[in-house]
Amino acid sequence: MFPQNTKFLVVDDFATMRKIVKKVLAELGYTNIEEADDGKTAWPMIEAALQKGEPYGLVISDWNMPGMTGINLLKQCKTIPQLQAMPFILVTAESEQKHIIEAAKAGVSDYVVKPFNSATLKQKLERVYAKHFPQAKAA
Amino acid sequence: MSAAQKITNPLFDKRLITAYVDAVLKTVKTMASTDVTAEKPFIENNFTQKGEIAGSLGLIAPPLRGNLLISFEKASIFSIMENMLGEKYTELNKEVQDAVGELTNMIYGSSKTTLNQLGYNFEMAIPTVITGSFLLSHAATATTLIIPFKLANSSIFYIQITIQS
Repeated sequence: MFPQNTKFLVVDDFATMRKIVKKVLAELGYTNIEEADDGKTAWPMIEAALQKGEPYGLVISDWNMPGMTGINLLKQCKTIPQLQAMPFILVTAESEQKHIIEAAKAGVSDYVVKPFNSATLKQKLERVYAKHFPQAKAA
Repeated sequence: MSAAQKITNPLFDKRLITAYVDAVLKTVKTMASTDVTAEKPFIENNFTQKGEIAGSLGLIAPPLRGNLLISFEKASIFSIMENMLGEKYTELNKEVQDAVGELTNMIYGSSKTTLNQLGYNFEMAIPTVITGSFLLSHAATATTLIIPFKLANSSIFYIQITIQS
């Protein structure tokens, strides 16, 4: 599982969903959580964190947002070599096959379909960590 | 020919009603651990406001255009939010408005997946939230499908779907 000092970025245009995701992360003992209300706000935060040498350990983003969508934020991240391996989860009400394929092609780490409960999100976090850090899982 | 093309008025498509009922039950149960009961759907020939706060979004599935409204009585949204966020709410503030928007978004997304698999072609949409006294000008004289949902505390919220001809 992600270390306790992992820095998270939660992106959603609805404060309610940010609150729900933060609540689950807090239950898991994480405290280093920042938030943004759309991709447009999130992107400079991701860039700044990288320049500061303290990149986010995981971005959890909604897909359907005004300004910049979550999928475009993910694609933008993939254009920067240092961000290509950054874990990125899309949380979305869109569960149609075409969206899942588009997200997979863009390199998403995992996909959480709304509505979801805390057990599902926790399970996805474990899966994403194991996917990005297979050695840690084996250790 | 797709299933949607065969439908003259989707308000009379039982699958549409089932998709919305399932989406509501699943969303409220999963996000707020709350059981709700779907009451008998009915049709109104003119749009009338129900509840005190509503999430609204345009239903676009060419050639169909309409509106989805999820309207909550205060007691129903306060109860759902308390179960969802673990906090008590007593007034229709910004947080309640935000939650209504997100619930509308989830219910629409969930039903859209089901309906598009059945041949509809609903597009992504971002909801807006309305409070106080309101009228949907484009829907004022449109036929509206209403599905009421009852919570354990007897409070009610409604799905209202209008289709423009």
